[in-house]
Amino acid sequence: MASIKLRGDTSGELVIEAPAVAGTNTLTLPASTSTLATTAQTEAIYNSLGVRNLIINGDMKIAQRGTSTTGITGSGIYLIDRFNISGNGYGTFTMSQDTDVPSGQGFSNSLKLDCTTANASLSASNHMVIVQRIEGQNLQHLKFGTSSAEKLTVSFWVKSNKTGTYTNEFYATDGPRHINKEFTINSADTWEKKIIIVDGDTSGVINNDNGSGLEWLIWLAAGTDFTSGTLQTSWDTANNTDRASSSNVNLADSTSNYINITGVQLEVGDTATPFEHRPYDMELQRCWRYFYKYPGNPNIHGCLYSSGKYIGHIWFPTTMRTAPTVSNLTGNYNTIENIGVSQMYLMRLADNSYLSTYSADAEL
Amino acid sequence: MIYTYKKIISVMTDEVSTTSIKRLEDGAFIPFDLANTDYQKYLEDVANGAIVEEAE
Repeated sequence: MASIKLRGDTSGELVIEAPAVAGTNTLTLPASTSTLATTAQTEAIYNSLGVRNLIINGDMKIAQRGTSTTGITGSGIYLIDRFNISGNGYGTFTMSQDTDVPSGQGFSNSLKLDCTTANASLSASNHMVIVQRIEGQNLQHLKFGTSSAEKLTVSFWVKSNKTGTYTNEFYATDGPRHINKEFTINSADTWEKKIIIVDGDTSGVINNDNGSGLEWLIWLAAGTDFTSGTLQTSWDTANNTDRASSSNVNLADSTSNYINITGVQLEVGDTATPFEHRPYDMELQRCWRYFYKYPGNPNIHGCLYSSGKYIGHIWFPTTMRTAPTVSNLTGNYNTIENIGVSQMYLMRLADNSYLSTYSADAEL
Repeated sequence: MIYTYKKIISVMTDEVSTTSIKRLEDGAFIPFDLANTDYQKYLEDVANGAIVEEAE
């Protein structure tokens, strides 16, 4: 195998090496002054194509459950699709789909949390997080649990009156394992873009299933149960005391406090590319996999099944993550049966069977 | 919070359902699917002494 070696004027060498195969191979350079792309640059271009944002509804435009909910105090609360508020003892908040957005970025909505009852003295277990959980089977290309584990980059826009330190966490549910990084809101009432880059996890495997594989969280308040250790800034087994910074703000300490977030993008690699603005219908359909609300017009009617029994065969608009919980039911029915990932039966022991509304919830 | 649940009689089979349960606080029908987080909560609640009413 022959090669040509060019020695630099001061230091360094460039080696051009012929392949160890027969035949003539031609490498044509550009007919102008230019620079060859590095592997990292090529990967950045590659990653900028297609559906690269692992976060669903990162621009907060889908809100099937409504545009505002008051009196938030606990866990598992959804308003804007796929984004969950969890915790306890964080006072009371109103969550809304807001139209306050960073200018010039193409966003129409943000998620807003507004404190309406304060808790300035968090007890040890009190905390508040915003979280999105991602299915494990959508994360296999991260190659976690191998030496080729990919870096992750999350970027988002944030605005709050409450300046100071917050904590970004990635929590791999199957370990569980986690990695945590502080970030700072520097200027009050000003939209700021945050970019956080973390290594891939070479030890922890993400199961290839429809369960939660990775959670992205921002800690908005944290009692000492979550801050008394040392913030875990490299991947390791999850330990509650290492989850939030000891300097983490308490967003619940005043009824003047609020936070807006939008443009959340999680992508493979160490480069934050511009936000991927996906079409409304595409994003809505992705949200439907986890939650679907039938809008209520027209009614869904049943028909005769057997003597005195009526059935309505109802298909969901997309295959859901798992057989969903069915609620918010209005209409004439006795039971909802045979609930699967694609369909369910409305059953009634009389005629005029129908549903006007229902919700199917398969959230993580 | 521990919820209250009720078994349901299947209209199709006239038997107590072996595939879902009703949560009384909001009337939700919860399928017996281990990947469903409400079913996971049901199992947790039952382990913690939740009331499961018999079907009528």
